[in-house]
Amino acid sequence: MTTKPSSRLAAFFANQRGALIALLLLALLPFIVGLFDGASLAAVWVNGSGQSKFIQGLAIEIIILSIYALSFDVIFGITGMLSFGHSMFFAVGAYLTGISIKSFELGLPATLGIVFAAAIVQALLFGVVLPRVKGITFALVTLGIASVFHIVVMSSELGKYTGADVGLQGMVVPAFISPANERLRFYFIALTILALVYLLYKRFVDSPTGRVCIAIRENEGRARMLGYNTFYFKLAALTLSSFTAALAGMMHALYQPIVSPNVAGMGFTVTALLIVLIGGVGSLEGALVGALVYRLLDFGLRRYIGESASFINGAIYVVFVLFVPYGIVGTWRLKSFQIKQGWARMTGWLTGKPSSEDSAR
Amino acid sequence: MEHILEVQNIHTFIGQYHILQGVDVRVPKGSITALLGRNGAGKTTTLKSILGLTPPREGKVIFEGREVRGMKSFDIAAQGIGFVPEHRAIFRDLTVEENLKIAERVKGEYLRKRDFIFNLFPDLSRLIALSGASLSGGQQQMLAIARALVADNRLLLIDEPSEGLAPVIIEHMMAAIRQLSQDSTVVLVEQNFLVASQLAENYVIIEEGHSVKAGAMKDLVNDKATIHRYLGAA
Amino acid sequence: MNTFLRKNLVLTITLSVIVGLFAAAAQGMESKDFVITLLRGLSVGSLTFLVASGFSLIFGLLDVLNLAHGTLFMIGAYIGWTVFVRPDTFVDLLTPFILTVSGFALRDVYPLLSDRIRLGLRMRRILPWALILVSVILFSVILPRYPISIWSVENYGQSPVTFAFMADQATRLPTVNAAFEEIAAPLALGGLLLASLIGAFGISLLGQTVQSASRISWKNLVGFILLLIVAGLTFIFNESLTGFLLGINSNWLFLISVLVAVACGVGLGALMEATLIRPLYSRPIYQLMLTLGMSAIGIEMVRAVWGRPEFVMPKPALFNGSGDSCPAVTFADWWNHHCSTILLLDGRVRIYNEIFIPIIGLIVLISIWILLQRTRLGMIIRAGVQDREMVEALGINVQRVFTMVFALGVGLAALGGALAAPSMGLSNGMGESLFLNALIALAIGGLTNYPGAALGSVLVGLIQQFIIKYGQIGIAIPFTDIVFKPTPPLVPASTVLMMVIILLILPNGLLGKKE
Repeated sequence: MTTKPSSRLAAFFANQRGALIALLLLALLPFIVGLFDGASLAAVWVNGSGQSKFIQGLAIEIIILSIYALSFDVIFGITGMLSFGHSMFFAVGAYLTGISIKSFELGLPATLGIVFAAAIVQALLFGVVLPRVKGITFALVTLGIASVFHIVVMSSELGKYTGADVGLQGMVVPAFISPANERLRFYFIALTILALVYLLYKRFVDSPTGRVCIAIRENEGRARMLGYNTFYFKLAALTLSSFTAALAGMMHALYQPIVSPNVAGMGFTVTALLIVLIGGVGSLEGALVGALVYRLLDFGLRRYIGESASFINGAIYVVFVLFVPYGIVGTWRLKSFQIKQGWARMTGWLTGKPSSEDSAR
Repeated sequence: MEHILEVQNIHTFIGQYHILQGVDVRVPKGSITALLGRNGAGKTTTLKSILGLTPPREGKVIFEGREVRGMKSFDIAAQGIGFVPEHRAIFRDLTVEENLKIAERVKGEYLRKRDFIFNLFPDLSRLIALSGASLSGGQQQMLAIARALVADNRLLLIDEPSEGLAPVIIEHMMAAIRQLSQDSTVVLVEQNFLVASQLAENYVIIEEGHSVKAGAMKDLVNDKATIHRYLGAA
Repeated sequence: MNTFLRKNLVLTITLSVIVGLFAAAAQGMESKDFVITLLRGLSVGSLTFLVASGFSLIFGLLDVLNLAHGTLFMIGAYIGWTVFVRPDTFVDLLTPFILTVSGFALRDVYPLLSDRIRLGLRMRRILPWALILVSVILFSVILPRYPISIWSVENYGQSPVTFAFMADQATRLPTVNAAFEEIAAPLALGGLLLASLIGAFGISLLGQTVQSASRISWKNLVGFILLLIVAGLTFIFNESLTGFLLGINSNWLFLISVLVAVACGVGLGALMEATLIRPLYSRPIYQLMLTLGMSAIGIEMVRAVWGRPEFVMPKPALFNGSGDSCPAVTFADWWNHHCSTILLLDGRVRIYNEIFIPIIGLIVLISIWILLQRTRLGMIIRAGVQDREMVEALGINVQRVFTMVFALGVGLAALGGALAAPSMGLSNGMGESLFLNALIALAIGGLTNYPGAALGSVLVGLIQQFIIKYGQIGIAIPFTDIVFKPTPPLVPASTVLMMVIILLILPNGLLGKKE
């Protein structure tokens, strides 16, 4: 079936209405916050300090986490491989960015090239074990590879480059995207990257390759029986994931601009897992919603509760699993009909009109 | 006629799929009843629904005059229903003797029933120390049936007993099922119409989740039209 | 034999390479060092095994990856410490604890009660939560006011660190007996019982299905009354019980503390399975999130109750002697003088760490093996690992077996924790490191294979200890003068590397079954 490109584009935008509205809102966010704060838009535009700048910072962190979570979802939620070494994908990007800018004084394009080259290499490294191990064993092997990387990063021999257990510090970010002075620009660049990555992922999931990946998640044996060499599809998903995670790592290194060894640890993989589970496994929107909820929850709890925040955090996860059974997006889809009905009943009750369900009784 | 099992209009869902959409099965006491139908018609699901392994959402399952739908699977089985699943699902890591012992509901049942079982399947008595995995297909099928005989079961649900077996062994199996049906009632799911028609006295045809026809087997054997329509060119 | 070799060629080669490596390792050090390192490896291996075996039993039968297992190990250690160092706190806790549990002993009565009450659909949905809420409010009003003499995390002089230090010096800090001040005793006891009854009723309403129990078993009522009597007795004889525990030999006290830790582990495991894991069998991925959350909660609770600093637990007297006749030369010598160390090939070996713990590990290994191979429960577990549905179809209540296995697994972890406390010390991170060990051990040995868990644990322990030892003495690289000293980070890296290599050669681990 052939359609004119323009109408296809229109159809695409019509399908993505929600995403577009969200994007627009996010683009306006710094100015809206500025208005509420009482700061002039001009001040927001020239990165004057204030509430808006702070919110931009938080939003950038959420965007980076979203990209990272998306990259985890494509191998875990879409292709069904549980990797416990995902933090390595992120950390490699972050550390290489830091090292090449700080120790070798390379420019951003060269750094980007190095990071992407490394992304291919690590995807291949994980790919080597793919044909041998599956399921929980794959999780353990990837955990092993990643913890070796973590140990290497922490080792004192490489301390000159990585900063060992203190972390990589003292990196000078190119002035035109300096997160301190040009945060608004950084914010828009990050937002653009997120939109592009999301678009790419949407395309991937809908593409024939993505369909096979979903088939692998559902039943690998059957996918293989249909004649697909599942190895290549899994490798494709891994490579895509590695690229995006490394990109997120690079943004993280540029924004912070400190790279702590924690981002290479198991804990950071767990973060990705939690984000995806909160949002809903296997849905791209889920990763975004999950990152938002996760970061805000963490931030809010640490700010208002302090020390015992992770207790509340843990409790929230437990309650969450029991009452929001398939993540926010998954449960929303499952229950959207019921939720709509509930709203209708509530508005009906408010306006005094009986809802359709009540009158049916 | 007294019915040991009455399944009335059950509806079973697996995930979001509506597998059984109204199945009725009446099993007279002491008979052999065959569930017939094409692949994927819902015969195995019917057996599993009776046992509550795939719990029906609606309908009634009455065993010996007592409603068992809504009970937990193990409670239903403990009422006196034995299950022989398809694909000869014996416990491969357990020895033959353990496979039989695990089916005990009262201590010592295995010792009491041992002679009866080994009389029925003489082969098994030589194999009791071997692990289930090392048995041949026919021996595994016999073990699966024998396992259902250890406890005091008045009703046996047997799923595809002849599947993948050599003709000689099928003969043996049929003889065994015929013999044990003297003490208990049997519900049989069978793809092989020849086997089913020789064994069973009654039949129920299931088609796309509905029970469409039921009656005495001797009537069905002559009803070529029905056979052709529901069971293919058997 | 020949076919066996051919079938397991890869396994045989891998195992002989491992054995060869150990033989090579033995060449590089003195025999006394070798013996000590070997025993230390076995000790770490035993503790790893206690965590790994429980985890693997749970994973094999229930398909639940219990990521909170390391945290439960740690909780076991802290509970053991509490009973050993502060028996008075333990005794004070007994009465409120038993009262809290007692409501659940009447679980058969609640369905009858709820049958009597005819409620609308909406009320039926709200009532359980309302009851649970009332019960939680009652608990939170009474429990903080209930007098329990306990340490204080904020006050250094009264902190667990100080108590641990003093106990290690074989003295006890004087403690003040707490008395009922903020709340009257009858009110507190009655309130706790009431809260427990209401809460248990609410929970039973929550989990109720269509069918209802038809009769009350007398065992149920008797159990309830017995619990009440025990609670009363512990309340009345609180002080004399404390005195008794303080007075007895520290060996017996240690035994009691280990038993209490195991009992708490078993109870906690059963509770976890019944309330949190059970709704999730149909959504296995979310179990990961749940157990991660549980793990975070557990660590924070330990931090809140026992504080963040690390502290020690004294060894029982049997393993803590010193003096002129120590170190012991023979085991008879040790028995007479209760020395803490013994001379083996001129090397000083710590009896508790390097001999007692491996022996316990071996005992547990054998008893679980017997449980699995020789009992009906073990038979059901082995069958259930393969085909749960079929076991259920035989008329066996698999759900109850699940709960038992979960409880058993957590109990084993708690046992490991209580045993590890005197040798490893107590810290908030002790669970995590051991849990990682256990995961690696299971991956090496075969995830759901019981002998594999043991083999993997021992290998992990041995490799770690040998690397540590070589970190001290250095490896002379052949044909050169270079002495290579592995740095501490190589210890975890070495086991992880071994795991990756073994899994790439044998994807199902050394003893795991091929799919």
